[in-house]
Amino acid sequence: MRIRIHHLHTRIALVFVALLLVIQVAGFSVISTAIYANARHTVNDQLSVSEKVFRQLLSSDDEKLRQAATVTAADFGFRAAVATRDQATVESALKNQGDRIHANLVMLVGPDNRLLADTLAPNEAGRDFSFPDLIATARRSGSASKVGLVNGRLYQLVAVPVLAPLPIAWVVMGFAVDNALAVRLGDITSLGVSFLTKTADGKWSLLATALPEDKGQELAQALDQVGASSGSLEIDRSYARFGMTRYGARIISLDQNGQRVVAVLQRSLDEAMASFRRLQSTLLIISVVGFVVSLVGSVLTARSITRPLAALTRFARSLGRGDFEVPIEAAGDDEIGELTQAFNTMRGNLVERERRILDLAYYDPLTRLPNRVMFTDQLTRMIEQASRADTTFSLMMMDLDRFKLVNDTLGHHMGDLLLCEVGQRLSRTLSHESEMVARLGGDEFALLLPDTDLDAAKRFARRIGTVLDEPLSIDGHTIDVHGSIGIVSFPLHGREFHTLMRRADVAMYAAKRVNAGSAVYSAADDVHSPERLTLMTELRRAVESDQLSLYYQPKVDLSSYQVKYVEALVRWIHPERGFIAPDQFIPFAEQTGYIKVLTRWVIDRAMRQLAQWHADGIDLSVSVNVSARDLLHAGLPEYFEGALRRYGVSPQWIWIEITESAVMDDAAAALQTLDQLHQMGLRLSIDDFGTGYSSLAYLKRLPVDEIKIDKSFVMGMMTDNDDEVIVRSTIDLGHNMGLKVVAEGVESEAVMLLLGTLNCDLVQGYHVSRPLPEDKFREWLRQWHASVPANVQADTLDGGRHIA
Amino acid sequence: MIKTVYQATLASAICLAAMLGHSAIASAANLQVQLADKTGAPLADAVVYAVPIGAKVPAKAPGTAIIDQIHRQFVPKVTILQTGTSVSFPNKDNIEHDVYSFSPAKTFELKLYSGIPAHPVVFDKPGLVVLGCNIHDQMIAYVMVVDTPFFAKAGANGVAAIEGLPAGDYEIKAWDYRLPDGAAQPTQRVTVTTDQKLKFALDVSAN
Repeated sequence: MRIRIHHLHTRIALVFVALLLVIQVAGFSVISTAIYANARHTVNDQLSVSEKVFRQLLSSDDEKLRQAATVTAADFGFRAAVATRDQATVESALKNQGDRIHANLVMLVGPDNRLLADTLAPNEAGRDFSFPDLIATARRSGSASKVGLVNGRLYQLVAVPVLAPLPIAWVVMGFAVDNALAVRLGDITSLGVSFLTKTADGKWSLLATALPEDKGQELAQALDQVGASSGSLEIDRSYARFGMTRYGARIISLDQNGQRVVAVLQRSLDEAMASFRRLQSTLLIISVVGFVVSLVGSVLTARSITRPLAALTRFARSLGRGDFEVPIEAAGDDEIGELTQAFNTMRGNLVERERRILDLAYYDPLTRLPNRVMFTDQLTRMIEQASRADTTFSLMMMDLDRFKLVNDTLGHHMGDLLLCEVGQRLSRTLSHESEMVARLGGDEFALLLPDTDLDAAKRFARRIGTVLDEPLSIDGHTIDVHGSIGIVSFPLHGREFHTLMRRADVAMYAAKRVNAGSAVYSAADDVHSPERLTLMTELRRAVESDQLSLYYQPKVDLSSYQVKYVEALVRWIHPERGFIAPDQFIPFAEQTGYIKVLTRWVIDRAMRQLAQWHADGIDLSVSVNVSARDLLHAGLPEYFEGALRRYGVSPQWIWIEITESAVMDDAAAALQTLDQLHQMGLRLSIDDFGTGYSSLAYLKRLPVDEIKIDKSFVMGMMTDNDDEVIVRSTIDLGHNMGLKVVAEGVESEAVMLLLGTLNCDLVQGYHVSRPLPEDKFREWLRQWHASVPANVQADTLDGGRHIA
Repeated sequence: MIKTVYQATLASAICLAAMLGHSAIASAANLQVQLADKTGAPLADAVVYAVPIGAKVPAKAPGTAIIDQIHRQFVPKVTILQTGTSVSFPNKDNIEHDVYSFSPAKTFELKLYSGIPAHPVVFDKPGLVVLGCNIHDQMIAYVMVVDTPFFAKAGANGVAAIEGLPAGDYEIKAWDYRLPDGAAQPTQRVTVTTDQKLKFALDVSAN
């Protein structure tokens, strides 16, 4: 991450630096090129101007010389001398006139182009003059001039006629083109001026120059090279490198009739560019300095961007770790500052949100108590602490008795208020900050009591009982609140979280079962204790391997002594343990949910048996016990339906026995299932009637056909008058509601007779018969029918019709 | 006035010729010469003169001529005269002139002067004399000095008429100042018995 930031910073700097470099280099090279081009241009211009000046100078010199020669030639005495052809006089006159105008040579040329006299070579008169064109031009124009070599020296030659008064001869005067002239021309034009000629061997030879002698020779050599490479000397307006120095040069051809003579004007480019070079150096320095300053600036700028970014990154990382404590310092009011501000706002929002999330995650919104999650955390921490410190603590689990009833009858709002009140009361029992009460869900609460042993925990539980016993009034309703508390202690009841929780739960249900307010965990209550586990496994095996069987206990119609109804009861004959009582495995099956399987097994067997009986001409109806959990399980009516179809059994032969409490726990769902079963044509019977809290209102709402008076009342009716009253009242009540009434637990003839006088419809009990296996039951039934007179049977039929 | 002088001079010359030829009037003839260049354009101021062949040149009569200087020009520009003629050079300008000649036929110089010089110049040798002014180079005059009294100068129409020629053989020579230097002098031979006409086509283009 750091490297990346570094990269960003480097990248920004690099981009800037690269751009600057490009701009600087481009600028520098463009300006340099411009400077160089400008210098060349300037030199070129200078050369052009100078060339014109040079030509002007030459021609003006020329003109002056011409005029001087003209004046000289016009001298009457001179003309007279020429006209008279006196050689000696002519020669002396020529010399004299030449001296007057400082001519270096004077010649007299006759009309036939013959030399009449020559001051340089007095004795060679009669030769042909070397420049006939000069004379021809002079003849045409009155005078003429040219540059020409005479005896290896360069002269500016002018020719003027000698008039007598017609031209009779031409005076040619020559002025040496020497270093002095070159220097003078050079001074005026500010150029290096040289005159060169091409000798017979093709080499350039220096005639005169304003340059130092060695430079002049260099120039001659350079011209040789240029000439060699170009093959021609007509290379004026060119640049050349003469020796080590670069020059802008103009080569002006002074060439006339065969003799190659040039004037070379030259200007040192380096000299001309010296000021430009200084400018260029300054520019270079400015460029370099500018580049360095920009480099530093861009690095600093990049840093100034990336440094706050790095700080932000560190900040964001610490936010990521969940460290919301320290806000980051705002770094100015630029974009970075705004980003920082945004980060801070985000931090604030995160803090707030986390607080809310924690709140939602760890607190129960209704009671404001810690929730299961927080309790779990706390318990886990406490287990760790206690394990390390080898201390003890206690855990309590509590739920409210009959909270469902409150919810159902008074409404959920009332239930919520009750839960809040209970929560507050529980909180009030806490005396230490480390103690904790949590709502685990529904009406289930839990308390965590550090450094509390089992005895202290029991005392604590009693205190809670006392606190809850205080009258509680909500919205004008006085509500009786009782809780069942399960207590476990660490490490006595376990060292593991789940063990502790489950065992507290077990203890709580045990307390609820016995209505004891509170209970300490006991393995005997524990479905998941090793013994119970074995039982579970075995029960499952029993179902699968047909260790279970159905016993049938007859119900006798007191009016006819006919047996038309039997109750199917499940029995477990364990291959090793022998007979296992139903109350040893039925509640267990209910707790584990295995009851569903068991009930369906019973239904299936009972139906099959019923079908068999009817096939055998035995007219019986069968009662099947269905537990509360069966009613809540979906699919029970469908299962019945399937079984009926499977065995071809009529639904009115089936009775379903349910306990009051089965309906009470979740009345709405149970009622729905029962209604459904009733609609199918099955009959319902309330078992153990009188032991629960069921109101008559419930009885009225249920689609009930029969009630079975609990055997505790029946067995006690002979000795306890109250029981007899209850039985009598119940029978009357049932009859008045149009229900059939069955008395259970009939164990003596007297009781049976008494019940008969009370108009009880059916009796069931050991006095009639114990529950019997099917084959024995058949035998019993055969004997019973044999002993009962037929007329009684007929009466019974009538009575039965009457009752129905 | 110049014209008058010239005509007077001419008239006297004709008169003289008439007088000379009086003894042989019957044989005297006129020769009309047409002078032109190669293109046929008339050459004004060209001159012709006739030299008798085999016959003796008639004895000279002393003559005079005048060459004026007017507006920095010699007037006339061309003069033909017989050897021995005295020529006067009146300066009609209000500036001085210095008339000279370097020609071998007559070399002289009239130093700077105004008006009429005291002594006329006698052209005593035949040949061409080119006159100049030492201080005005553009002033040039040509004097053709011939050893015969038979000569004439062409007018603007290029026609020169030699009158009173006695019958006989002549060399007729023509000259024009426009002829190049050293050019051969055009010459025609004629036998004069009566009036006749002659044509010269001079090659003056070379100049």
